[in-house]
Amino acid sequence: MQYELRSMFEGISTEGDGETRVTVKCRKETVITMLSFLKKTGFDHLALISCVDRINNNELELVYILSSYGGDAAMQKLNILVKTRIPRENPQFYTATEIFRNASPYERELHELFGIFFRGHPGLTPLFLEREYDIPPFRKDFDTRKYVKDVFDQIPFVDDKKGRT
Amino acid sequence: MDRNNIGKWFKSPGNMGQKYSLHALYFCTGCGIIEIPPTITTRWDAERFGVIPVATPRQANLFLITGYVSVKTLRYIIRSYEQMPEPKYTVGFGSCPINGGMYWDSYNTIKHLDKYIPVDGWIAGCMPRPEAVFVAVTHLWTLIDKGMATGYLKYREHYTKYRRNQEKVLGKLEWPPLFSIEEENEKSREKVAV
Repeated sequence: MQYELRSMFEGISTEGDGETRVTVKCRKETVITMLSFLKKTGFDHLALISCVDRINNNELELVYILSSYGGDAAMQKLNILVKTRIPRENPQFYTATEIFRNASPYERELHELFGIFFRGHPGLTPLFLEREYDIPPFRKDFDTRKYVKDVFDQIPFVDDKKGRT
Repeated sequence: MDRNNIGKWFKSPGNMGQKYSLHALYFCTGCGIIEIPPTITTRWDAERFGVIPVATPRQANLFLITGYVSVKTLRYIIRSYEQMPEPKYTVGFGSCPINGGMYWDSYNTIKHLDKYIPVDGWIAGCMPRPEAVFVAVTHLWTLIDKGMATGYLKYREHYTKYRRNQEKVLGKLEWPPLFSIEEENEKSREKVAV
Protein backbone atom coordinates (compact mmCIF):
# COMPACT_ATOMS: atom_id res chain seq x y z
CA MET A 1 0.00 0.00 0.00
CA GLN A 2 2.70 2.45 1.02
CA TYR A 3 4.91 1.49 -1.89
CA GLU A 4 1.99 1.88 -4.28
CA LEU A 5 1.18 5.35 -2.97
CA ARG A 6 4.80 6.49 -3.07
CA SER A 7 5.16 5.35 -6.65
CA MET A 8 1.98 7.07 -7.81
CA PHE A 9 2.29 10.44 -6.11
CA GLU A 10 5.19 12.80 -6.12
CA GLY A 11 6.67 14.38 -3.02
CA ILE A 12 4.90 12.36 -0.36
CA SER A 13 6.29 10.51 2.62
CA THR A 14 4.60 7.61 4.35
CA GLU A 15 5.16 6.05 7.71
CA GLY A 16 3.41 3.51 9.90
CA ASP A 17 3.35 -0.24 10.39
CA GLY A 18 1.10 -0.89 7.41
CA GLU A 19 -1.31 -3.09 9.40
CA THR A 20 -3.34 -0.69 11.49
CA ARG A 21 -2.24 2.79 10.54
CA VAL A 22 -0.51 4.52 7.67
CA THR A 23 0.32 8.21 7.84
CA VAL A 24 0.72 9.97 4.52
CA LYS A 25 2.26 13.43 4.52
CA CYS A 26 1.79 15.27 1.27
CA ARG A 27 1.72 18.70 -0.29
CA LYS A 28 -1.55 20.54 -0.39
CA GLU A 29 -1.92 20.19 -4.15
CA THR A 30 -1.99 16.39 -3.98
CA VAL A 31 -4.60 15.99 -1.25
CA ILE A 32 -7.76 16.01 -3.36
CA THR A 33 -6.29 13.61 -5.93
CA MET A 34 -5.07 11.40 -3.12
CA LEU A 35 -8.50 11.30 -1.47
CA SER A 36 -10.31 10.39 -4.68
CA PHE A 37 -7.69 7.72 -5.45
CA LEU A 38 -8.04 6.24 -1.96
CA LYS A 39 -11.81 6.22 -2.27
CA LYS A 40 -11.59 4.24 -5.51
CA THR A 41 -9.10 1.87 -3.89
CA GLY A 42 -11.66 0.98 -1.20
CA PHE A 43 -11.24 3.47 1.63
CA ASP A 44 -14.79 4.68 1.27
CA HIS A 45 -15.37 6.16 4.73
CA LEU A 46 -14.12 9.58 5.81
CA ALA A 47 -14.09 9.30 9.59
CA LEU A 48 -12.94 12.79 10.49
CA ILE A 49 -11.28 15.92 9.23
CA SER A 50 -9.19 17.35 12.02
CA CYS A 51 -6.89 20.32 12.32
CA VAL A 52 -3.77 21.05 14.35
CA ASP A 53 -2.48 24.55 14.89
CA ARG A 54 1.32 24.46 14.40
CA ILE A 55 1.87 27.95 15.66
CA ASN A 56 5.69 27.66 15.81
CA ASN A 57 5.92 26.83 12.11
CA ASN A 58 3.13 29.33 11.28
CA GLU A 59 1.12 26.57 9.66
CA LEU A 60 -2.16 24.74 10.07
CA GLU A 61 -2.10 20.97 9.67
CA LEU A 62 -5.16 19.26 8.22
CA VAL A 63 -5.67 15.58 8.94
CA TYR A 64 -8.07 13.44 6.92
CA ILE A 65 -8.77 10.09 8.59
CA LEU A 66 -10.01 7.39 6.23
CA SER A 67 -11.13 3.86 6.91
CA SER A 68 -12.72 1.10 4.89
CA TYR A 69 -16.01 -0.73 5.07
CA GLY A 70 -16.06 -2.44 1.71
CA GLY A 71 -12.54 -3.84 1.41
CA ASP A 72 -11.08 -7.15 2.46
CA ALA A 73 -10.12 -8.05 6.04
CA ALA A 74 -6.63 -6.55 5.87
CA MET A 75 -8.03 -3.31 4.50
CA GLN A 76 -10.71 -3.04 7.17
CA LYS A 77 -8.06 -3.04 9.89
CA LEU A 78 -6.22 -0.16 8.28
CA ASN A 79 -6.70 3.55 8.93
CA ILE A 80 -5.11 6.06 6.61
CA LEU A 81 -4.21 9.53 7.86
CA VAL A 82 -3.64 12.03 5.09
CA LYS A 83 -1.81 15.05 6.50
CA THR A 84 -1.09 18.33 4.83
CA ARG A 85 -0.05 21.80 5.88
CA ILE A 86 -1.45 25.14 4.80
CA PRO A 87 -0.26 28.64 5.72
CA ARG A 88 -1.74 30.18 8.82
CA GLU A 89 -2.51 33.66 7.51
CA ASN A 90 -5.72 33.78 5.46
CA PRO A 91 -5.97 29.98 5.21
CA GLN A 92 -7.78 28.57 2.22
CA PHE A 93 -8.24 25.04 1.01
CA TYR A 94 -10.29 23.06 -1.47
CA THR A 95 -13.39 21.30 -0.26
CA ALA A 96 -13.65 17.52 -0.10
CA THR A 97 -17.44 17.46 -0.29
CA GLU A 98 -17.34 16.43 -3.96
CA ILE A 99 -15.61 13.19 -2.97
CA PHE A 100 -17.03 12.52 0.49
CA ARG A 101 -20.41 14.10 1.11
CA ASN A 102 -20.07 13.76 4.88
CA ALA A 103 -17.11 16.15 4.81
CA SER A 104 -19.55 19.06 4.86
CA PRO A 105 -20.16 19.37 8.65
CA TYR A 106 -16.46 18.82 9.41
CA GLU A 107 -15.50 21.62 7.10
CA ARG A 108 -18.12 23.93 8.54
CA GLU A 109 -16.72 23.17 11.99
CA LEU A 110 -13.15 23.92 10.89
CA HIS A 111 -14.37 27.07 9.20
CA GLU A 112 -15.76 28.56 12.37
CA LEU A 113 -13.27 27.17 14.89
CA PHE A 114 -10.04 27.65 12.90
CA GLY A 115 -11.09 30.16 10.28
CA ILE A 116 -10.21 28.01 7.28
CA PHE A 117 -12.13 28.93 4.15
CA PHE A 118 -13.04 25.89 2.07
CA ARG A 119 -13.38 26.86 -1.56
CA GLY A 120 -16.35 25.29 -3.33
CA HIS A 121 -18.23 24.28 -0.19
CA PRO A 122 -22.02 24.55 -0.74
CA GLY A 123 -22.82 26.38 2.49
CA LEU A 124 -20.23 27.57 4.98
CA THR A 125 -22.72 28.77 7.60
CA PRO A 126 -22.02 28.79 11.34
CA LEU A 127 -22.55 25.43 12.97
CA PHE A 128 -22.03 25.69 16.74
CA LEU A 129 -21.13 29.19 17.79
CA GLU A 130 -23.56 32.01 18.53
CA ARG A 131 -21.14 34.80 19.28
CA GLU A 132 -18.59 36.32 16.96
CA TYR A 133 -14.90 36.20 17.84
CA ASP A 134 -11.98 38.29 16.67
CA ILE A 135 -9.68 35.27 16.40
CA PRO A 136 -11.24 31.85 15.71
CA PRO A 137 -11.40 30.30 19.19
CA PHE A 138 -9.54 27.03 18.61
CA ARG A 139 -6.34 28.70 17.47
CA LYS A 140 -3.44 28.68 19.87
CA ASP A 141 -3.19 32.46 20.12
CA PHE A 142 -6.81 32.81 21.29
CA ASP A 143 -6.60 33.72 24.98
CA THR A 144 -9.66 32.11 26.56
CA ARG A 145 -8.97 33.48 30.04
CA LYS A 146 -8.73 37.03 28.76
CA TYR A 147 -11.89 36.53 26.72
CA VAL A 148 -13.80 35.29 29.79
CA LYS A 149 -12.55 38.25 31.82
CA ASP A 150 -13.56 40.69 29.11
CA VAL A 151 -16.98 39.28 28.29
CA PHE A 152 -18.55 36.99 30.87
CA ASP A 153 -17.06 38.51 34.00
CA GLN A 154 -18.22 41.98 32.98
CA ILE A 155 -21.88 41.00 33.26
CA PRO A 156 -23.18 42.13 36.66
CA PHE A 157 -25.05 40.00 39.19
CA VAL A 158 -28.69 40.88 39.52
CA ASP A 159 -29.38 40.35 43.22
CA ASP A 160 -27.69 42.74 45.59
CA LYS A 161 -28.38 40.87 48.83
CA LYS A 162 -25.08 39.03 48.96
CA GLY A 163 -23.11 42.14 48.22
CA ARG A 164 -21.90 40.95 44.83
CA THR A 165 -23.25 43.43 42.39
CA MET B 1 -50.22 12.07 55.80
CA ASP B 2 -48.21 13.49 58.64
CA ARG B 3 -50.52 14.70 61.40
CA ASN B 4 -48.20 17.60 62.24
CA ASN B 5 -48.83 19.07 58.83
CA ILE B 6 -52.60 19.48 59.26
CA GLY B 7 -52.14 22.99 60.60
CA LYS B 8 -50.04 23.92 57.62
CA TRP B 9 -52.65 22.55 55.26
CA PHE B 10 -55.30 24.83 56.76
CA LYS B 11 -52.96 27.78 56.93
CA SER B 12 -51.65 27.78 53.37
CA PRO B 13 -53.19 25.04 51.23
CA GLY B 14 -51.66 26.47 48.09
CA ASN B 15 -48.12 26.19 49.35
CA MET B 16 -48.69 22.65 50.59
CA GLY B 17 -50.15 21.65 47.25
CA GLN B 18 -47.18 23.04 45.38
CA LYS B 19 -44.76 21.32 47.71
CA TYR B 20 -45.98 17.82 46.99
CA SER B 21 -46.64 18.15 43.28
CA LEU B 22 -43.39 19.31 41.76
CA HIS B 23 -43.59 18.72 38.04
CA ALA B 24 -40.01 18.70 36.95
CA LEU B 25 -38.59 19.77 33.63
CA TYR B 26 -35.11 18.35 33.13
CA PHE B 27 -33.07 20.47 30.81
CA CYS B 28 -30.53 18.03 29.42
CA THR B 29 -27.65 20.39 28.83
CA GLY B 30 -24.64 18.38 29.85
CA CYS B 31 -23.38 15.29 31.59
CA GLY B 32 -25.75 15.79 34.54
CA ILE B 33 -28.61 14.23 32.66
CA ILE B 34 -26.99 10.84 33.16
CA GLU B 35 -28.05 10.99 36.81
CA ILE B 36 -31.67 11.69 36.00
CA PRO B 37 -32.91 8.32 34.60
CA PRO B 38 -32.01 6.43 37.81
CA THR B 39 -33.51 9.28 39.81
CA ILE B 40 -36.92 9.13 38.20
CA THR B 41 -37.12 5.37 37.71
CA THR B 42 -37.37 2.49 40.17
CA ARG B 43 -33.91 2.67 41.73
CA TRP B 44 -34.42 6.02 43.46
CA ASP B 45 -38.06 6.68 42.45
CA ALA B 46 -38.49 10.44 42.60
CA GLU B 47 -42.27 10.08 42.73
CA ARG B 48 -41.98 9.24 46.45
CA PHE B 49 -41.22 12.93 46.85
CA GLY B 50 -43.94 14.03 44.47
CA VAL B 51 -41.46 14.85 41.71
CA ILE B 52 -42.61 13.69 38.31
CA PRO B 53 -41.03 14.47 34.93
CA VAL B 54 -43.18 16.21 32.37
CA ALA B 55 -42.81 16.69 28.67
CA THR B 56 -43.18 20.40 28.09
CA PRO B 57 -42.30 23.56 30.02
CA ARG B 58 -45.92 24.67 30.10
CA GLN B 59 -46.75 21.79 32.46
CA ALA B 60 -43.75 22.16 34.73
CA ASN B 61 -42.97 24.15 37.83
CA LEU B 62 -39.55 22.78 38.79
CA PHE B 63 -36.74 23.51 36.39
CA LEU B 64 -33.62 21.37 36.82
CA ILE B 65 -30.62 22.54 34.82
CA THR B 66 -28.26 19.61 34.66
CA GLY B 67 -24.82 20.50 33.49
CA TYR B 68 -22.89 23.26 31.79
CA VAL B 69 -24.76 26.00 29.94
CA SER B 70 -23.32 27.06 26.63
CA VAL B 71 -24.38 30.26 24.91
CA LYS B 72 -26.62 28.38 22.52
CA THR B 73 -28.47 26.47 25.24
CA LEU B 74 -28.89 29.62 27.33
CA ARG B 75 -31.26 30.93 24.67
CA TYR B 76 -33.51 27.87 25.02
CA ILE B 77 -33.21 27.83 28.79
CA ILE B 78 -34.58 31.37 28.91
CA ARG B 79 -37.36 30.53 26.48
CA SER B 80 -38.35 27.44 28.48
CA TYR B 81 -38.19 29.36 31.73
CA GLU B 82 -40.44 32.11 30.45
CA GLN B 83 -42.99 29.57 29.20
CA MET B 84 -43.39 27.90 32.59
CA PRO B 85 -46.45 28.94 34.59
CA GLU B 86 -45.93 30.59 37.97
CA PRO B 87 -45.03 29.67 40.64
CA LYS B 88 -41.84 28.16 39.28
CA TYR B 89 -38.64 27.04 40.95
CA THR B 90 -35.21 26.63 39.40
CA VAL B 91 -32.48 24.36 40.70
CA GLY B 92 -28.99 24.32 39.25
CA PHE B 93 -27.58 20.81 39.26
CA GLY B 94 -23.83 20.31 39.38
CA SER B 95 -21.03 22.80 39.73
CA CYS B 96 -21.06 24.09 36.15
CA PRO B 97 -24.16 26.33 36.40
CA ILE B 98 -22.88 27.69 39.72
CA ASN B 99 -19.57 29.19 38.64
CA GLY B 100 -18.52 27.46 35.47
CA GLY B 101 -16.99 24.38 37.10
CA MET B 102 -14.38 22.79 34.91
CA TYR B 103 -15.43 25.14 32.09
CA TRP B 104 -14.47 28.24 34.04
CA ASP B 105 -12.22 29.61 31.30
CA SER B 106 -14.14 28.28 28.33
CA TYR B 107 -14.94 30.63 25.48
CA ASN B 108 -18.49 29.47 24.91
CA THR B 109 -20.07 28.58 28.26
CA ILE B 110 -21.68 31.14 30.52
CA LYS B 111 -20.26 30.99 34.00
CA HIS B 112 -22.97 32.11 36.43
CA LEU B 113 -26.48 31.02 35.59
CA ASP B 114 -28.07 33.34 38.16
CA LYS B 115 -27.02 36.34 36.13
CA TYR B 116 -29.58 35.40 33.50
CA ILE B 117 -32.45 33.65 35.27
CA PRO B 118 -33.19 33.50 39.01
CA VAL B 119 -32.11 30.27 40.69
CA ASP B 120 -33.72 29.11 43.95
CA GLY B 121 -31.23 26.44 44.90
CA TRP B 122 -27.97 24.85 43.94
CA ILE B 123 -26.81 21.26 44.13
CA ALA B 124 -23.03 21.34 44.30
CA GLY B 125 -20.83 18.53 43.10
CA CYS B 126 -19.42 17.06 39.97
CA MET B 127 -21.50 14.94 39.61
CA PRO B 128 -24.03 15.04 42.46
CA ARG B 129 -25.52 11.70 43.44
CA PRO B 130 -29.25 11.11 42.84
CA GLU B 131 -29.75 11.39 46.60
CA ALA B 132 -28.65 15.02 46.30
CA VAL B 133 -31.70 15.70 44.16
CA PHE B 134 -33.89 14.58 47.06
CA VAL B 135 -31.92 16.67 49.52
CA ALA B 136 -32.54 19.61 47.24
CA VAL B 137 -36.24 18.77 46.94
CA THR B 138 -36.73 18.51 50.70
CA HIS B 139 -34.80 21.73 51.12
CA LEU B 140 -37.04 23.34 48.54
CA TRP B 141 -40.03 22.24 50.63
CA THR B 142 -38.77 24.18 53.61
CA LEU B 143 -38.07 27.17 51.40
CA ILE B 144 -41.62 27.07 50.06
CA ASP B 145 -42.96 26.74 53.62
CA LYS B 146 -41.06 29.79 54.74
CA GLY B 147 -41.91 31.72 51.58
CA MET B 148 -38.28 32.04 50.54
CA ALA B 149 -38.45 30.35 47.14
CA THR B 150 -39.38 33.56 45.38
CA GLY B 151 -37.21 33.39 42.30
CA TYR B 152 -40.13 34.01 39.98
CA LEU B 153 -41.12 37.15 41.89
CA LYS B 154 -37.54 38.35 41.64
CA TYR B 155 -37.68 37.75 37.92
CA ARG B 156 -40.74 40.01 37.69
CA GLU B 157 -39.18 42.65 39.88
CA HIS B 158 -35.74 42.83 38.23
CA TYR B 159 -36.83 41.84 34.73
CA THR B 160 -35.08 44.82 33.16
CA LYS B 161 -31.72 43.81 34.61
CA TYR B 162 -32.16 40.16 33.62
CA ARG B 163 -33.17 41.07 30.10
CA ARG B 164 -30.22 43.42 29.78
CA ASN B 165 -27.84 40.68 30.92
CA GLN B 166 -29.38 38.22 28.48
CA GLU B 167 -28.99 40.65 25.62
CA LYS B 168 -25.36 41.25 26.52
CA VAL B 169 -24.57 37.62 25.84
CA LEU B 170 -27.06 36.64 23.15
CA GLY B 171 -27.33 39.84 21.20
CA LYS B 172 -30.78 40.94 20.16
CA LEU B 173 -33.44 38.53 21.42
CA GLU B 174 -36.06 37.56 18.88
CA TRP B 175 -38.97 37.21 21.31
CA PRO B 176 -40.80 40.11 22.95
CA PRO B 177 -40.17 40.87 26.62
CA LEU B 178 -42.30 38.92 29.08
CA PHE B 179 -42.85 41.81 31.46
CA SER B 180 -42.55 45.54 31.00
CA ILE B 181 -39.06 46.96 30.70
CA GLU B 182 -38.11 50.23 32.33
CA GLU B 183 -36.50 52.25 29.60
CA GLU B 184 -36.29 55.37 31.73
CA ASN B 185 -33.36 54.01 33.67
CA GLU B 186 -31.12 54.07 30.64
CA LYS B 187 -32.18 57.58 29.72
CA SER B 188 -31.58 58.86 33.21
CA ARG B 189 -28.18 57.14 33.24
CA GLU B 190 -27.28 58.79 29.98
CA LYS B 191 -28.23 62.14 31.43
CA VAL B 192 -25.99 61.52 34.42
CA ALA B 193 -23.18 60.51 32.13
CA VAL B 194 -23.58 63.63 30.01
